[in-house]
Amino acid sequence: MLKPPLSLLVPLLSLTALFLSVPSAAQAQGGSDGGSRTGPVSGYMDFHVNKELGQDARIDFHRFVLLLNHSFTNRIRFVGELELEHAVVEGLEEGGELELEQAYVDFLISRGFNVRAGMMLVPLGIINERHEPPVFHGVERPFVDTVILPSTWFEAGAGIHGEVGRGLRYRAYAMAPLDALRFTADEGIRGGRQKGVDAAARRLAYTARAEYIGVPDLTVGAGFWTGESAFSVPRLNTAVRIGEVDVRYQRGRTELRGQFAQVGITEAAQLNAAIRGQTGIQPNIARTLRGFYGEAAYRVWDAGAPRDLVAFVRYENFDTQYRMPDGIPPLKTLDRDAWVTGVTYYPEPDIAVKVDYVHVRNQSGILRATRSFNVGLGWWF
Amino acid sequence: MLKSMLVCLVASATLSAQAPAQQERRVIRVTAERFSFTPSRIVVDAGEAVELRIRSDDTSHGFRIADLDVNVTLQKRGKGDVRVPLQVDAPGRYTFECSRMCGAGHNFMRGELVVRERTQGSGPR
Repeated sequence: MLKPPLSLLVPLLSLTALFLSVPSAAQAQGGSDGGSRTGPVSGYMDFHVNKELGQDARIDFHRFVLLLNHSFTNRIRFVGELELEHAVVEGLEEGGELELEQAYVDFLISRGFNVRAGMMLVPLGIINERHEPPVFHGVERPFVDTVILPSTWFEAGAGIHGEVGRGLRYRAYAMAPLDALRFTADEGIRGGRQKGVDAAARRLAYTARAEYIGVPDLTVGAGFWTGESAFSVPRLNTAVRIGEVDVRYQRGRTELRGQFAQVGITEAAQLNAAIRGQTGIQPNIARTLRGFYGEAAYRVWDAGAPRDLVAFVRYENFDTQYRMPDGIPPLKTLDRDAWVTGVTYYPEPDIAVKVDYVHVRNQSGILRATRSFNVGLGWWF
Repeated sequence: MLKSMLVCLVASATLSAQAPAQQERRVIRVTAERFSFTPSRIVVDAGEAVELRIRSDDTSHGFRIADLDVNVTLQKRGKGDVRVPLQVDAPGRYTFECSRMCGAGHNFMRGELVVRERTQGSGPR
């Protein structure tokens, strides 16, 4: 039986102490939530300890996110989201990031039709629009939502959203496109996010999501993205087309999730040649990237926080080299799958203590699989 | 004895007149979670007495119907539900929404209360 590495015992023991102490505090308050308060600023934070077997442990304050909101009128509202990653941003140094993830104005016209403009989250996948730490299991976000759908993915743009019928919701935006010259073999399209930074927009990209919530306990969604992504290289017309479907089901103590996403990159051979011409290195950009996962969770302790504990297991398959342009062989190290299993403990519904074990395998015969123990604390306020 | 019978008759008539005011409200259960209310469309008849029992499956959302001066804070998951009695006489469509910032999709968290004209034979939905 695998034992947690010694370097993780201190945080695990600390969290165990928290686990044991919180019920006493709650009982002293008569089981009430203590009357939590929130002001005009909300946000979420998470930090974690990651210990890959054979490597030193790493501690990272991963995210410090503040959300601001203001109602100009009952129907015109502003939402802003500012994120600091990895604690410190230093000029010209490898380190954290300070990002404006959201800054939009909503014009709420009717149930079926509303207008939004500004910096917005791309409406693809489960995680990109719904990633507060207590709402997903696992210390880190799913791999599929990192290397296939590059969350957190945000761009400047404008669009419409609303709900029609009995629970059919939609959003449709025109946004700044991706920059294909920044795609990479291991992280796919992630590096191509322009993030509203003086974004080139010779042609806009278009994205939309439809989501059905008309059946209790069930959410089914599907989305797409399409846009030309090569605008600084003459006669290169690389476009990116993304399709994804996802489902969430929660009934009683059981929660199920699934997601499938596929990214197509046109003129991938010409894109590889263009990047190789600029850098001198073969970038090995695929013409198709693919990822999917299924997750099952069970609320083993269901007596209300602080007696609230969920166990989960997730299988992911993510390949950023799924199909390659002719003449470019795939890097099998990037054809990966992962098993993630762990628990999420809620001492309070807006606080998540997470422990998981992650086993990532690849199809190469050279690079060994990685195994890691991870402990994290995330909260929303 | 005739006097006693008359008192009973008056008393029972009075009780019958009081019965509609004390009739049970139709309970409509609503679940809130990031970022939706389920159901997101609630249909009632004009003048119908209903009670919304709203629970959260995660954080402490708000529930507001601006046109009906309703604004309550929901308890976090596992802390119980909030009961909102309603009796709306004017037919129309009333938007309900989350009134407490709950995350990136907070502004998507809206729904519609449809108050129908009460017609003979129309039942609650």
